[in-house]
This record gives sequence, C-alpha cells and structure tokens, in this order.
Amino acid sequence: MRRGARLVVIDPRRTDLAAIAEEQDGGIWLRIRPGSNIPLLNAMLHTIIEEGLTDEKFIQERTENFDELKEQCADYSPERMAQLTDVPPELIREAARLYASSENSLVLYGLGVTEHKGGTSGVIALANLVLATGHVGRPHNGINPLRGQNNVQGACDMGTLPYILPGYQSTDDPEALERFARAWGVSNLPGGRGLMEPQMYDAALKGDFKALYCVGYDPAHTQSDIGRIRDAYRAMDFVVVQDMFLTETAKLAHVVLPSTCFYEKEGTFTSGERRVRKVNKVINPKRRLKADWEIICLISQAMGYPMIYTSPEQVMTEIQKMTPSYGGISYGGIGDTGQVWPCPSKGHPGTPLLHTEKFPRGKASFVPVSYIVPEEEADKDYPLVLVTGRRLEHYNNGSMTRRCQGFELIAPHELLEINPEDAAALGIKDGQKVKVKSRRGSIRAVARVTQRSKPGTVFMTFHFQKDLTNLLTSPGMDNKTLTPEYKVCAVRIVT
Amino acid sequence: MAEFIHITIDGDEVKAQAGQTILQAAEAAGIKIPKICHIKGEEDSSNPCLLCMVEIEGKGRVRACSTPAEDGQVIEVHNRELDAFRKERLETLAESHYGDCRAPCNLTCPGGINVQGYVNLIAKGEYLAALMLIKEKNPLPIAVGRVCPRFCETRCRRILLDEPIAINHLKRFVADYARDSHFRDTEVGRPTGRKVAIIGGGPAGLSCAYFLRKQGHQVTIFEAEEKLGGLMRYGIPGYKLPNREVDREVQGILNLGVHARLGKRWGTDFTLQDLKDQGFDAVFIATGLSRQKQLEIEGASHAICGLGFLKRINLGDRPAIGEQVLIVGGGDIAVDSARSARRLGAKNVTVIYPRSRVELPAHQREIEEAEKEGVQFFLMATPLRIIKEDGQIKVEMARTILDEPDERGIRHPIPMPGSRLTWTGDTVISALGQEGDPTFQSYGELEASIVLTPRKTIKAHPSTMKTSVEGIYAGGDAATGSRTVIQAVAGGRRAAESIHEYLTKEKPGVLEPRFNFTKGKRFEDVDMHNFEGYDLQLNEVMPARPPERRTGDFGEVQLGFSEEMAVREANRCLQCGCLGLSKCTYREYCVDYRVKANKARTRLKYPLDRSHPFIVVDANKCIGCTRCIRSCKYDAFELDFTLDPKTRLLTDVSIKIKDNCVSCGACVDACPTGTLSKQDSVVPLLPAQLSTVKTVCTYCGTGCSLDVVSMYGAILEVKADMDSPPNYGQLCVKGRFGYTFYRHPERLYLPLVRDSLDEPFREVGWNDALRVTAERFTRIKEKYGPDSMGVLSSARCTNEENYLLQKLARAAWGTNNVDNCARV
Repeated sequence: MRRGARLVVIDPRRTDLAAIAEEQDGGIWLRIRPGSNIPLLNAMLHTIIEEGLTDEKFIQERTENFDELKEQCADYSPERMAQLTDVPPELIREAARLYASSENSLVLYGLGVTEHKGGTSGVIALANLVLATGHVGRPHNGINPLRGQNNVQGACDMGTLPYILPGYQSTDDPEALERFARAWGVSNLPGGRGLMEPQMYDAALKGDFKALYCVGYDPAHTQSDIGRIRDAYRAMDFVVVQDMFLTETAKLAHVVLPSTCFYEKEGTFTSGERRVRKVNKVINPKRRLKADWEIICLISQAMGYPMIYTSPEQVMTEIQKMTPSYGGISYGGIGDTGQVWPCPSKGHPGTPLLHTEKFPRGKASFVPVSYIVPEEEADKDYPLVLVTGRRLEHYNNGSMTRRCQGFELIAPHELLEINPEDAAALGIKDGQKVKVKSRRGSIRAVARVTQRSKPGTVFMTFHFQKDLTNLLTSPGMDNKTLTPEYKVCAVRIVT
Repeated sequence: MAEFIHITIDGDEVKAQAGQTILQAAEAAGIKIPKICHIKGEEDSSNPCLLCMVEIEGKGRVRACSTPAEDGQVIEVHNRELDAFRKERLETLAESHYGDCRAPCNLTCPGGINVQGYVNLIAKGEYLAALMLIKEKNPLPIAVGRVCPRFCETRCRRILLDEPIAINHLKRFVADYARDSHFRDTEVGRPTGRKVAIIGGGPAGLSCAYFLRKQGHQVTIFEAEEKLGGLMRYGIPGYKLPNREVDREVQGILNLGVHARLGKRWGTDFTLQDLKDQGFDAVFIATGLSRQKQLEIEGASHAICGLGFLKRINLGDRPAIGEQVLIVGGGDIAVDSARSARRLGAKNVTVIYPRSRVELPAHQREIEEAEKEGVQFFLMATPLRIIKEDGQIKVEMARTILDEPDERGIRHPIPMPGSRLTWTGDTVISALGQEGDPTFQSYGELEASIVLTPRKTIKAHPSTMKTSVEGIYAGGDAATGSRTVIQAVAGGRRAAESIHEYLTKEKPGVLEPRFNFTKGKRFEDVDMHNFEGYDLQLNEVMPARPPERRTGDFGEVQLGFSEEMAVREANRCLQCGCLGLSKCTYREYCVDYRVKANKARTRLKYPLDRSHPFIVVDANKCIGCTRCIRSCKYDAFELDFTLDPKTRLLTDVSIKIKDNCVSCGACVDACPTGTLSKQDSVVPLLPAQLSTVKTVCTYCGTGCSLDVVSMYGAILEVKADMDSPPNYGQLCVKGRFGYTFYRHPERLYLPLVRDSLDEPFREVGWNDALRVTAERFTRIKEKYGPDSMGVLSSARCTNEENYLLQKLARAAWGTNNVDNCARV
C-alpha cells in the first residue's frame, strides 16, 4: 500500500484494516450490515455489468452461463440494496469500479464471508465478481481465503473430510478406494459420505453416534450454540480427547491423552497458499510426552490394525505415493521455503499460480446466488446483532495464548465492543461489567465502548474459557458446509 | 540483464552489479564491512553510525551503505586511519552507554557459570535446562551445591537492595530435582580414539573426566582409594555432603563411559612412564593434597591428625574421643573436626586459634553453624606443649599478640610474654592446613622433571594447566594448594579444554571475550538509583535441622529448597547481565576494535521502563542508531535524543512505545544493544552460543517462518529471519511472544481416564490409557458398527498426523466419519 495499492474493506466493524481503508486516499470502507454480503456483492456485480466494466474476452473464453448471472443481478442495483446493506449506493459503485477497472485486483476473504447461513453463496458471489472481471489466473490477481487456523489447508488436503480421501480423491470413486485399500492392506474401504462434524452431534443426540476421537480441537468451546454440542458429547458412550491442556471438550471426555505442541514435534504444515513447509522439532517434549502421530499409531495398533512408522518422514513418503498433488513433495525437497502443490513429481517446481489456462472443470460456470436471510435478526427482545470473531492477541479457544507470559496484560478477558450510541442508550459506560443474553444463554463481559462496533451491532471473541461466548451464538448454519453462523446472532445487554 | 562492474576492495577484485552500493557489493562477495545502523531495504538513519566508512582512492571517505559502487573504484575498508576512526566512534558511543554486559555473579564465579541464566531458568520452571547450563561449567552440582563458599553471592547486586540471591541453594535445588526425576545426562561426543589418564578421582579429576568424555575421548581415572570422590568423600563431613550424594555424583560421571581403576596408587602401582607405555596420550594429575601441616610443639604426637580423623568418620568409624576436645587450627578442617567431635558425643569442644575472629580462615557461615552446635572458639591463643598424664591430656597455652611486621609486612602472632594457662581434657586434634608433598618426584624420571612451586605444589599454567612436561597437566589442590571444590572443578575443566586442544588441535566451545561494560566493579561504584522501585524481599531461608537434633548424628543438616521456594528465590534476581547480549553487535565491534570498557558512563540516567507487556526499555544503553524506529511498521515507536554537534555525544534520550503498539517485537530484534529487550528473556548468551531451529508458526494460515532459539529443552525466544518468506522478518505478537504456553503449569503430562462423566479423572500410565481406549472403541464398533464412531482432527496437527487420523478412521475402523476444525 505504501507503493500505491488501494484497499477496499467490507466489514461491519471498524477493524484496524477498515480504518486504513477509510483513511487511505482512494481507499474505500464499506460498513456493511452483518449478514448482507450477498446483496452487496451482487450490487457490485450489477454496477460492473451496468457500467460495462466486465472483461468480455475473459467471460467469452473462460466462462459459461454469464447471461443467467446478468439477468439475476439486474434486480440488485446498489440503490435498491442500500437499505439492506446499510451502504450508500455511490460507495458500492465506487468500490465496484475500483475493483473492476484496476489492472490487478486481488480478493482476500475471511470468515466474515463463510460464517453465515449464506456462507457458500457468499463465496460464490465473490467468485462471480472475480470471473466477470477476469481478475484470476494472473499474478497479483485471484481470490484467496484467509484461513482461521494454521493447517486447515493441510488437514483438508490430507482427507480429514468425510467425503474425500487424501488429495481430494472422492470416496465415491471405486478406483481410488481400491487403490487405497490395497496400499493400506485392507480388503475394502467404506464408500459414500461419512458424517460431517455437526451431523455427528445430531446423530449423537438421536442415540446413533456413540464414540469420538477428537485430536487437538476444542469444539465444546469453539462450535456455535455449544449448549447443544455439550449435550451431544454427554450423549456419547465414549469420548477420547487429545490435547495439551484440559480444554472444555476434554472436560467432556472419558480419556484425555496429553500431546505435544509444534515446538516439540516434526512434520509439515500447508499454509493458505498451498505451500508445504517443514515443521522442525525445537525442543524435546518433557516427561515422556508423545507426539500426536505416535499416539494415533499406538491406538491403531492396540485396536489390531498395525500402523508402524518410525518417523513423520516415513508418513510423508506414503502421502507422496497416495496423493497425486503431493507427488513431488518430500522432506528433502521442501527446504527452507517449502513446495507449493500441485507438485506432481520429483523435481517439479510446484504451482504457486492456479487457473492460468483453464479451470479444473474446463470453463468456469457463473452461478447466480440470491440473498439468504440470517437465522436470526435483531428484534424487540434481542435488539442487537452480535458478531463474533478473533482478536490479534489470541488464537482460537485461547488454550495456548492465554497461557503465555504477557498476554494476560494485553487481553485478559472477554470484551463486549459496543458503539457509543448504543452504549448511551443503554446507559453503559466503558469498562462496565454487563451480561449478554441470547435466546440460548447468558454470559458476562466487560463493555468496551468503541467506534469499532457499528451501531446496532456488538462484537465479542471466543478466546476465553471463563466466559464462553458460544453459549450465545446462533444455531444457524450454512446448509452445504454446515459452517455455523458465528457472525449474526440476536442479543440483548443487561446491566 | 544486470550490468556488471569491477571494483577492488582491500586489494581483492570484486565483481558487482551496477546499482549496488559498496556495502551490497562487498557483502555479496563475502567481505564484511562494519555497520550498525544500516537496515537492508529501509531508509537511512538520521544519525548514521559511520562505522561503514570506507576510503575510495582519490575520493576520500564515504559511507559504504549509501555510496553506489562504480566501475574501477579502489576501496579500502581497513587501514590504520579508518580503524582508528571506527574505534573513536565506538568510544564516543560508549560514553553514552551504561549497563552490565555480564552480571557480577557470572564474572565472579571461579567456574565461570552463567549464574544469571540458570537462576532465571529456575524462575521459569525450566529446572533441567538450568542444570544443563550449570553442567556446561560444573559437572558436580550436587556436591558444589552443598559446599560452595559462594563467591557469586558476595558480588550479588541485590546486596545493595536487601540480601543476595541464595544462588548456591538454587544450584542444589536443580541438582536434587534432576536426581529425583531420574534425569540422565549421558550424551557424549563421537569417539576420538585418544586416551587420557587422570590421576586422582577427586573433584578436579572427575570434572576433567566429564569434559574429556563429552568431547569423545577415552578416559581412565587412577584412584588410590577404594572409591572415587576424593576430598568430597573422605574430607567433607557427611552432615554437609552425605556420601550417598557423592556416590550419585560419581555414578553420573561413570555413566558417561569413564573408566576408573580403584586402589591404584601412583608411585606404588604405576608411574607416568607406565601410563605413557600403556598408550595414554595425555595425563592429568589431580591428586589433591594428602599431607597436613604438622603441629610443631612439644608433645605434638599426642594430638591426632584432623584430616585423618575426618576420613575415619567418613569411612564409618566412630572413634572414642571423650568429652573434652581441643582443636588446634582455624580453617575448614578445624571447624569440620570440631562439629564432627560434637557429633561423636564430645560435650565441650574448643577451637584454639592464634588470631582474631575475622581472621579465621574458615567461612563465617561455618563458624556460626559450629557455634549453634555448641562449639566454642578460644581466640588469640596458641598451644605451647601437650602432655599426657594419667590418661588425660593437658595442653599448656598462651594468649597471643601480633609481632612486628616481617619483611612481607605480615604480623605473625607470638605468645604474650608471661602468659600461661592450661587446658585439661581427653583429645587434642591438630587441624592445621594442608600442604604440598613433593615425594612423587622420586617415582620416576618423568616425575622428577615436573617443576614445583615454592609451596611444593605442582607448577601448572593457570589457564592451560600445562606442567613443565609436555602432555602432562595438573590441577586441583595438587597444583593450586588448598582451594574450594568449585575451583578444583574449574581447574579440571580448563585442563580438559587444554588437553582436547592438544589432542585434536581444535578449540572447544565458545571463546568468551573478557570485554565487559559494568555498572560498577565495586559496590561503592554502583548507582543506587538502579534499585528504585523494587520492593523489599528477603531471601528464602534454607530449611535445616535444629542444632540440638543434628548434633546427634551425621545426617545432612540442610534440607534443600522446595520447588516453590526455589522459584520464589529465583524470581528475586535483578537480572543485571544484559539480556540483549546475543544481539549486541555494538559489543562485538567494541571487542574487535579493542574499545576500553571504562569509557562508558558510570551513572544511571534514565529509569528502566518495564511498562510494556513484552518489551523492556533501558534508554541508558541507547547508542542512537534509530534501527528501532525504522523497523516499526505501525508508527508506534518514538525515539528522541539530542546530539551534541561537537562531541557527537547522545543526550536526553527518550524512548516511548505508543499505545497503538501491536507488540510485534520487530523493534527489539532490530536493536543492536540491550536498550530493547524482551520481558521473558532469561539467559544472557553470546551470539555464538545461540542454538536456532527454523520452523513454521502454528498460529494462522499464513505460515510464517520462525527462528526459534532454545537451550537444553527450554525455548529462549522466537525470532524471524529477514530473508525468509512469507514474512521476511515480520511476526505478530502471537508468533514472537506466544510461546511460553509449552511450559505452563497446567500442561497435561499423564493420560487421564474415567469410566463415566460424573466421576473425576484418574491419572494413569500410557499402557493403561491405550488399553482402555482400544477396548472401548472396539466394543462400540462391534456393538453398533463403525459408523457409530468418528474422528475429529485439527489444524494444529501436521499433515502427517492428519493423514494418519483419516487412515485410522477409514482403514482401522472402517468409517468415513472423519472431519476437521475448518468451520471455525
């Protein structure tokens, strides 16, 4: 940005980044109403089409179904969407023009797009924007999700999803199943889709799901509407949690297996840019602690299926064989800077830039998306919208960062960020202890009266074990990915 | 295509790219040009350090960092004028620099132990790392932690505030902690094929054996007695250092693969020539001093020898000495004998010494303990004659006065004319000091050529421990005369280093420069403003058995600190030594250019600012390079100072970290002195002592490159390499400072198991936990089928672990019920 890049930020909150956009000459901050991503993005698309800012050549050569999109977007003029989105139409148009007409434009999106009932549709709306302007497949362009956690990319790459094997090979593909079964020495592997995490909880509450092995993850703290999640855990016969600390989920377990952190083990992480990086052991774990990979193997062996590896490198060798996109990735090849997949064979330079010539399905298809109303909206009883998210100082459930020296000084407890207007109306002063209530629960927090919050909305994180924000959050979920609607939930503040 | 040019630097032709500065061209060619203020890719300093001044032929002096390299330039980096100029610059900077490079405790320790480092590792709960840091210099912490006279504590700056840190008790704490947690230190270097013989298995011999073995040499100790330990076993009484602790210390050394030949006496069983003939490449003589000074009065034969008395007791004898005992002497042997006599049942034990109380050579602490146990001191008195009469012993004595000074100015005590008094009792113990014994010279030809000191000890070089004969080294009391255990240990280590160099021609370890800025060598020199803002906190009192109980046996008197006491005590440390030491390029140049450390300021000018949660600001150390402010990407740093135009001295330094600071820590890592340091820093280390591992941050999907600095299983700090993508030196507060969770007391170490959620967890071993886990999963699978089970995996797990988890679900269990944390 020091060299002239201009910034458009879409966020209901005046985050540090939004403030930079607002203050930058030529920057734009769209202070959107929570839950109205799709109307806003469609309105930008409407502007781009109306004002002839599309990349006709790109649409022609690389995409299909543009007409349907065009037709659908006609209804989403910025002027019509102004009220729904809370954004002045001229600002929407300006942002659309800036994005479309710049030679290079890059979309970075975070969980503010995905953690909605219309999360998947929101991502599609962004993709439509990218395709209509041809801002993809070239350096300094494209669309990138910013992952909330470090190795989400790698976890998905490795097939810890109920419908894919490592390397996104479908569990419906009999050939792939056959190949893996042979390599793993079993007669057959289950086909079809397994249960996604929220489906496991539904099944548990119905009595159909009995046992869970949960590694390095604390859903009883970080899932939405955790009152219900806890009931699901209590309904299971046997829960094993593997973690460094006694987390909220560990408190609901029958067996807790102590594990090691990344300073104490070896392996690889894959960053958001698909870059596979080497994690090196810095210190030996104290007091006979075992690395997660060792524990997994020991459990498997104890259950009669031998998984014998002497090192993570041996596992990587197997991954390399079984996962075409990781085919050229090895400890020897990673070096200090890593390898970017797809990297199909040894010596392949890796592929930092995707979609340069064609998309995986050939031509990209525009998919028109329409507004999906959040599960809950502010009303008489619960007049404010709670947006949840993260603060720079803490990581996720906070089990690590809350236990680091100094962090108790910079972010000791939960804060309820509330706009001065709303605070005045409720008679709340900065630093005052308040109760936040939703239809599902009630927790305590300290009010931080700040312009960061948009009038009518409040903000909290979920980093603290003492005050579990997710007792409040919405049961709404994206209907495809089942991602909870962390970003919109109706609350009221009690002083 | 880049255009190439040719320049000459200090006579070497260098190929450079057009557009490069002289500095860039030189660095690309591997030529170092001194520099402090320059940051690659950042704007120039408003107060250039000027160290990079070079001379271009025909053009004069220019700054290499900002002058473009041009074809044909002939450049000098080093010549007498330039180097003198740099030295002058560095000395000017020194005049506005104030601090301690190394802590006084560290500098005072005869063993050279990084005292501040291990004390603060204890404060963080890193006990084993603390132990290993001690063992870098002292492989006998169990023993030294019990008997050291604590040179370090006498120089502890906290004395000026309230009381010194109980450093030695902390050493004992970690040594005992390691013993109780069955910690084994058994790593040794690759075999070198060289053999070293050590004569004498006391502290010097054991220490030398430890360090030689660590380097991979084969070591054999020849010990005249039946057991190893020397004076630690046969001299020091068990109530101070129990023999079972000596056994443990010795066992630790033997476990490294050190050989010992017991009951083998030099001169009787072998000579130096024999050792040479047996293929030993070097010999270290550490026989100690077995001879005690004789009491030279009439009837001296009626007195028993103190050293022999202590040895008998240590061997398990309980000699009958009666009720009335007189000890002649005032050193450690005298006080040890007196306290032992009380334990043997003597009712009245009197130590007679010809000088005053403050002149008693024994440690004052020992004297106090002896008095608590009922030992009496009869001072300014001397025995004249011992008579044995009717089974009783009579000692004729006289009070003493000091004689006229002798030629060295020493006033010796003499009996006061006319003074006469008599003591009657059961036993007299002669406990004068030890002395050298030159009889070994008669053992053989090699022995005969070893040169002695005037005090009849072996002459050995104080730092290399070389004797007059090549390949023969000597240390410990045999070379130095009677000294402490830690001094013997230090001698053993120096001998090992010297022998290693002799055998392999390589220098072991990191050379520690003697250069040291100090806030005051003497207490009187230290500015008392340094201690403003500290609360009074007296030291932890060592728990000990009460005198009336302990005199009943030879059991250990002091019981050791509890973990809580140790941590509390360690946290009293003022951390005098500079925690910016490892990044202090300024000090490195001061060493290179032989700057005089006494050029530095002697008074505190600015109070220490600890208000930032992660960063300590000590403006007294600022040299005005402005690297901090230029490395801050958030406009959160304020640095102001006035520069005297004539003297170029820095005055009125003001450093402020503003409220909008995001605690990324870039400024700390950019600071080339200890002006900015990290609150959670613990060990002052030299740059060459850092051990860094490259890895990837765990905190978000960016995957920042980390440089993690650690020591013996303790993480010391997290940094980022300026040249590594994707973060190029940048980190957020979590990446740089969010690492101490790994040692948090709530960390789980043992598996927890319970049958149902309404009962508390039981801590169990791994085998039990795995058995329960496997049994219950298997039962559920058999009863309800594999799809009644599932696996949830994590972004904190590696790719390999995620792969294994889904393999477990699919191949071992037979279900696709596997998901991860991607929804949050």
